[in-house]
Amino acid sequence: MNVRVFIVGMGIISPLGAGFPETLAALKKGRTGITPLSLFPTSHQEPLPVGEIGDVPHHEHLPRTHVLAKIAAQEAMRRTKEKPDAIVMGVITGGMPVTEELLMRGIYDPQRYKNHSTGSVTEYVAREVGCTGPVLTVSTACSSGTVAMKIALEMLRSGQSKCVLAGGVDALCRLTYYGFHALQLVDPAGARPLDQNRRGMTVAEGAAMFLLVAGEKPPDHAMAELLGVGLTCDAYHPAAPQPDGSGACLAMQNALSDAGVALSDIDYINLHGTGTIDNDLAEAKALHALFGVNLPFLSSTKGAFGHALAAAGAIGSAISVMSIAHQLIPANSGCEVPDPELNLHPVMVPLKAEVKTVLSNAFGFGGNNAALVMGDPEKSSSRRNVHREVTPFRILGSACLTGAGHTETTLACLYENKQIKGLMNPDAMTMHLPPRVVRRLKRLSRMVLSLALSAHKNSGSSDSPASVFFGTGWGPLSEVHDFLKKLFESDEQFSSPTDFVGSVHNAAASQVAIWFKAKGPNVTMTGEDYSFEQALMSASLLARDSDECCLLIAADEYHTVLSGLFDRSVALSDLPADGGAAFYLKPGASDHGLRFSPVFLEYTHNNPHAVRSMMNSLGGKVRIGERFGAVFAGIPKAHREKGHQQLDDFLSVTGFRGPVIDYRRWTGEFAAASAVAAFLAAHFVKEGELPSLHGHSSIGPLDGKGILLMGLGEFVTAVEVLP
Amino acid sequence: MEKLIQELKTKIIETLSLLDMTPEDIDADAQLVGGQTGLDSIDVLEMVMMVEKDYGVKIDNKELGMKVFASVRALAQYIHEKRTDTVH
Repeated sequence: MNVRVFIVGMGIISPLGAGFPETLAALKKGRTGITPLSLFPTSHQEPLPVGEIGDVPHHEHLPRTHVLAKIAAQEAMRRTKEKPDAIVMGVITGGMPVTEELLMRGIYDPQRYKNHSTGSVTEYVAREVGCTGPVLTVSTACSSGTVAMKIALEMLRSGQSKCVLAGGVDALCRLTYYGFHALQLVDPAGARPLDQNRRGMTVAEGAAMFLLVAGEKPPDHAMAELLGVGLTCDAYHPAAPQPDGSGACLAMQNALSDAGVALSDIDYINLHGTGTIDNDLAEAKALHALFGVNLPFLSSTKGAFGHALAAAGAIGSAISVMSIAHQLIPANSGCEVPDPELNLHPVMVPLKAEVKTVLSNAFGFGGNNAALVMGDPEKSSSRRNVHREVTPFRILGSACLTGAGHTETTLACLYENKQIKGLMNPDAMTMHLPPRVVRRLKRLSRMVLSLALSAHKNSGSSDSPASVFFGTGWGPLSEVHDFLKKLFESDEQFSSPTDFVGSVHNAAASQVAIWFKAKGPNVTMTGEDYSFEQALMSASLLARDSDECCLLIAADEYHTVLSGLFDRSVALSDLPADGGAAFYLKPGASDHGLRFSPVFLEYTHNNPHAVRSMMNSLGGKVRIGERFGAVFAGIPKAHREKGHQQLDDFLSVTGFRGPVIDYRRWTGEFAAASAVAAFLAAHFVKEGELPSLHGHSSIGPLDGKGILLMGLGEFVTAVEVLP
Repeated sequence: MEKLIQELKTKIIETLSLLDMTPEDIDADAQLVGGQTGLDSIDVLEMVMMVEKDYGVKIDNKELGMKVFASVRALAQYIHEKRTDTVH
């Protein structure tokens, strides 16, 4: 069957204005939205130019990021009464605009930080639009918006969803303003992409959201067709692009083949074109390598919008839709004399031209490359048939890390009925890694790299993973804390470029990619207590393009200052704990290894039937009894009451009689605890029995059955581990 | 000058967490970036911050940075010439 994906609604807010009509008018006029920063006072005598949105409604305690996301989502939903059955959003800064202000003022009331997480932005939008399905948050730095579109595309192609709201958002804050400045990547004159005198980018904010539906034919109100997306990783450097542009080139190639269109079909390319010397050089090389002398119209619009980070790919998608719907090629604002070294000929003034198919690029820290192809729904030249099932995985190798230590120590403690929750010594964590490799890595990245190496080693495989999927509830807290501390202690004079590069949620996953030279998709999901499940879900959607292995990792670090402020379950816990787990996975059918698949993930706000829906997707109570010998239930302390109700509901309806393990009692409270539980579940299924676990009397054989890993509370999730 | 060179070596090790190195391991005349130390562009920027913070000397563009961070001796020379504030 030919499943096509159409854009039936779109919302955008950016420095060029609020809404589709205003943005389109600004693009037609070639207007720029770049002005000196006025949002917050700075230590700079003359504030740097930024892409700042004027007149954003101010909400007490609600971060600007959340407000922008809601405005774009409401516009995207304007013409429909239908609720999306899923949301996928790219976010980097999350609640940082509020968080940094509170930290600066020395306010340490956890209640004030409740909107800190990137996931809280997506959940807020879900509540506003009434979505109770999968609510997923992607944080792959500046490619986030496009990666979100890819995940949405695959959810629709696979039939998991019928209608998805997807896009990206970021708001200006001190972290990004000073961070890019510390990297000397900001052009003091405003971004001049592709110009011979360009000196860098302009940090900006914005949001763009799309309502996507699946169908065989375009619906009446289709604005464009999302034809395909390609994702790659440079696996080269934590921040700089690979100079030869090969990763970017491959992402574009993958996007074209995913879309089923030829090079000659592309009428216009919306470049990533940030205006930094290195990005524009690498992107130019990628374009020449792919298109040769037959380059279509091209321009970077970051001289007009600035670089809105996680929103950049979504804004690029919005420009693609506008270009197709209004036959417009926007200008490469800011560029006066194109750099002869780039040998590109950007469109200098807005043009009217026939546009059927657009390619849009978004690249980010960690060498994350994403390219997207958008087409005219009525004139699509796509020749691709897609309709695929979601892939189960086989576990070839796994590893965990807990307060007790590495895999073997954790298991030994567990079997001896000793406590495993707590904090592992950071030096012991990376004992087997060269000091040069870990010198710039703080707690989370050390944990993740160490886990990835162990899982791969335990698999005994000689091949390397092609792709990396990572879940983290809170990201690199040490780097975020240290960056802001140095900034505020120096009256905003100094900050650490190393900490800034390390502060993105996907920093750890990029270290893994660099180590293994994993050049396939590199995706980081950040959904608080359900990040591991979200990462597994994205892996099952994205890793199936090949039969190559992937690494799935989830981890969270405990930070003395920030963990208790951000994570309410940590605040309620009497013992600090952290850790994570990694799995080396092979997609598709195979006889070797345990079967591992994500079955269910729903947001539970206004969703009283989530547990019943989960039971249905597991095949009903009889099948649940036949297939699972035990249930591992993850109930974060902050959601204990809700979680226990959900568990009781599950047990009373299914009549499940096997052991039920409330695993956070032995892992401790941290967002990635479910990854450790999944590791242990897999170990026990392999062994065929449950040991006597600390605080649980249950012991016994699994009778050849598997373990059901359930997440409860704000989300209900189900992951199967089967023999 | 030798004293400044010694001091810089210690600061570089500390700032960049070169935990497996001692000041004696760094040759004042050897290539500092991309050489035996394995330092890259982010390390250069970290050193830029350190130099500005501890010596009041600004190095605000890449071309200048390449020259100044050619070696520890070149860095010491530059700081010595530009230094306005001797607090450190």
